[in-house]
Amino acid sequence: MAAMTYSGDDTVAEFERHRAELLRSKRAMTALFVVLFLAALAASIYVSRFYPDRLASGLPRIFEYFGTIMPNLELDKLLLSRGDDGRAIPGSIAYWYSDFWTYIQLIVETIFMALTATIIGAAAAFLLCFPAARNLAPNSVIFLLSRRFMEICRGVPEILYALVLVFAIGIGPLAGVVAIAIHTAGALGKLFAEVNENASLRPVEGIRGVGGNWFEEMRYGVVPQVMPNFVSYTLLRFEINVRASSIVGFVGAGGIGTELNRVISLYSDDRVVAVLLLIVLTVTLIDLLSERLRTHFIGKEHFA
Amino acid sequence: MLTTEKLTKNFKTRNAVSDVSLSIPQGQMVGVIGRSGAGKSTLLRMVNRLAEPTGGSITFEGRDVTALRGRALLEWRATCAMVFQQFNLVGRLDVLTNVLTGRLYHHGFVASMLQLFTASERAFAIRALDRLGMAHTALQQADTLSGGQMQRVAIARALVQEPRILLADEPIASLDPLNAKVVMDALRTINREDGITVVCNLHTLDTARSYCDRIIGLKDGVLVFDGTPEMLTQEMAREIYGAEADDAFAEGLTSTSLGGVPAKQRLTERDLAKNAQLGLAAS
Repeated sequence: MAAMTYSGDDTVAEFERHRAELLRSKRAMTALFVVLFLAALAASIYVSRFYPDRLASGLPRIFEYFGTIMPNLELDKLLLSRGDDGRAIPGSIAYWYSDFWTYIQLIVETIFMALTATIIGAAAAFLLCFPAARNLAPNSVIFLLSRRFMEICRGVPEILYALVLVFAIGIGPLAGVVAIAIHTAGALGKLFAEVNENASLRPVEGIRGVGGNWFEEMRYGVVPQVMPNFVSYTLLRFEINVRASSIVGFVGAGGIGTELNRVISLYSDDRVVAVLLLIVLTVTLIDLLSERLRTHFIGKEHFA
Repeated sequence: MLTTEKLTKNFKTRNAVSDVSLSIPQGQMVGVIGRSGAGKSTLLRMVNRLAEPTGGSITFEGRDVTALRGRALLEWRATCAMVFQQFNLVGRLDVLTNVLTGRLYHHGFVASMLQLFTASERAFAIRALDRLGMAHTALQQADTLSGGQMQRVAIARALVQEPRILLADEPIASLDPLNAKVVMDALRTINREDGITVVCNLHTLDTARSYCDRIIGLKDGVLVFDGTPEMLTQEMAREIYGAEADDAFAEGLTSTSLGGVPAKQRLTERDLAKNAQLGLAAS
């Protein structure tokens, strides 16, 4: 090999020249992006006044706040149950969590709200995602309409939909469920559509070849390919919706958020912590559970 | 009788197929040969309207196929089955359901969305699979099969369409020689026993010579040869294949060139049993 020289070789020289040109333009692009990124970073630091001295002076106050909302627990009375008169003793857990069963009831309501909203939203997303996939849409009008519709659904935060719906259909979980379902339809629909755009079109062509109509092409050509991904995304969305449904209560749309809003506005600081702890616990549990389920589905995909 | 009249397909910069006029009587086995990019696939895809012609017309038994719209078009595609080079099965469905999709044209909306197939349809599909020696795989997921097995499942799917015509677009180009032979034998059996017209794109000359009643040669989208295998001289073949001639003639070198026994011979029960055995050996 050492004896071979490429110096006079036209093909190689041509290739090297082309390669150098590509590298140069790539490097120029990278440099441009780095400059743009740094400019954006500087601008955002300036606008948000994210300066170290402000941060340093603010941090202790965060702990100060936590100090004020800590429940009043006394070690010797910690596990005491209610007294003979039926009143809980101040300083005991029973006193701190005296509304425990109300909280649990509301948390269950919250989870059911999330579940219902996820099912309704995912069903709507499923129907929308096929016309909203660039490669599957029967024509560009339907494609654009379904895309725009989903953008409207997910462009507005759940809490705003909830606010409007509380006015329209009244205070209670229904408003929350509908608000979250609308947002879910838009957000999941986009994810589903992107999964569809990566699906192989060979089976679709196969179904078209046997005389299947558009719906049959989707049902037999696409759905079997994308279903595991859809399930996985829906479970992920369920986790997000549990968090969302504990928030919409702030505007009266049901769930644990209603209680959280109440205890915050009454300055019952120890109650705020009590409710927050339960919410964090619930969300963690749901996350763990759905993660298990998701790996189960993706795992099945891999070993099939 | 399937007739094309000055059939043309223009892509933006070039003519894929130019003015092809053909007439194929019912029950013929036709091989379409030509180098890659000669327009073979486009021609076949236009016949069952997976590709739209830009000029000319296709008629089948007096009916203008090029004018069909809506449900009539779906009916035509059901009548005119297609077998693809890459099989185009639904990998994540089982073999039986893949075959049953051949019945979709005859299904209502609700039945097809819910995957409801009748017992007699299932029986029909199993018999079609059995003819191709694939009944034992009926409940396997389709993407666990080998290429040759997938192509036989795809042919079974075509069979349950009860088609009048079967179009095969390079059915053996992705297969090894053994499976290629099994698939070509199956196509010829279907042609001989069921009287279904088979139009088959083939890359290699020998396969076309051994299996087809009639050979059509395309070069740059133009029909340059139409006749029996005997009429296809060495010079003519060189003309059709151009620079790829040596490739197409090199017997035994390309995976899809088959010696095969001469055509025009109906397969016996013994042959079918042997095919079934080959299928088992391949699985």
